[in-house]
Amino acid sequence: MANRVQIPTNSSALIAMIADEDTVVGFLLAGVGNVDIRRKTNYLIVDSKTTVKQIEDAFKEFTTREDIAIVLISQYVANMIRFLVDSYNKPVPAILEIPSKDHPYDPAHDSVLSRVKYLFNTESVASGRR
Amino acid sequence: MEEEYQYSGSGEELQARELDGEDQKLQHHCQLPGAEEKLVLQFMDSMHNYLSLFDEVSSALRQGWFDLASARHSMGASRINSSLLDLKFHPAATTLKITNCDGTQPHFMLRKWVSSEHESTQLEDEHVQPQDDSVKSSGLADNDEVQKERSKSLSVFGVLISPKLRASQLSFERALETLIEIANMRSSLLYSFHQLQKAEDTKQ
Repeated sequence: MANRVQIPTNSSALIAMIADEDTVVGFLLAGVGNVDIRRKTNYLIVDSKTTVKQIEDAFKEFTTREDIAIVLISQYVANMIRFLVDSYNKPVPAILEIPSKDHPYDPAHDSVLSRVKYLFNTESVASGRR
Repeated sequence: MEEEYQYSGSGEELQARELDGEDQKLQHHCQLPGAEEKLVLQFMDSMHNYLSLFDEVSSALRQGWFDLASARHSMGASRINSSLLDLKFHPAATTLKITNCDGTQPHFMLRKWVSSEHESTQLEDEHVQPQDDSVKSSGLADNDEVQKERSKSLSVFGVLISPKLRASQLSFERALETLIEIANMRSSLLYSFHQLQKAEDTKQ
């Protein structure tokens, strides 16, 4: 926390996606799809057959790639790897939890809001705890 | 490095504490009148905008899913599914530019439909003013390039496509623009939160 994090500037960074088929197809229509020379994509389509390990691996891959600036992840998928999402604290790539067709956005589960909510927690302020 | 000595509660121990340059600057900044209040306001504003923008993006996504479902209904499920996605090498037409304006928080800018062949005709986020007049005068060419890129994206699902698929594309583009605003709001929110946290730690 005390160390200043280097914020990399990039003139052409990608948007990665970990979401259901319709969401990924929609954003691919908007032009965010990228396939590199090794046929690696910047998205993972999550369906009933996708394992938690695959989601974890995709999340770790996208958050360590230098060419990715934002990772869009459906909130219900983020809930499957909640410990991983909540422990992520780099400024780039930014993790955005988005709603899906069957799971509307719930601010109570958002990792960013969970992190900052202690500022509204009168108990922790009164007791002088961090 | 400045050293600060303070007595513990018992009054018997002497404790040396070093303040590094960053903490000194923060302490000085927070001692300026209204600095902390300004941070709190920035935090609250960012939080409010962050939540409001999520309502907007939910609405845009819902419209996009509905249009996609309508297109699938008219074109057939076999014509709109993930198995048709292009897995050949191709760069993204819509990318982001990250800048670090004040050296403290990242700022994201959307670059929509930038053709890999014609990088000079890029369209940037509407908040960025074009500095070169030649970009403005070639607006028509830009629109043609944008339409060409849009059609290229739609052509994955065939030549004859439902108007609902085009509508879905526009809805998802709108959702993407809102998500970039959310990303910037997230940056501002986390920055002001960390500054307030540091100020509290420094006071203690």
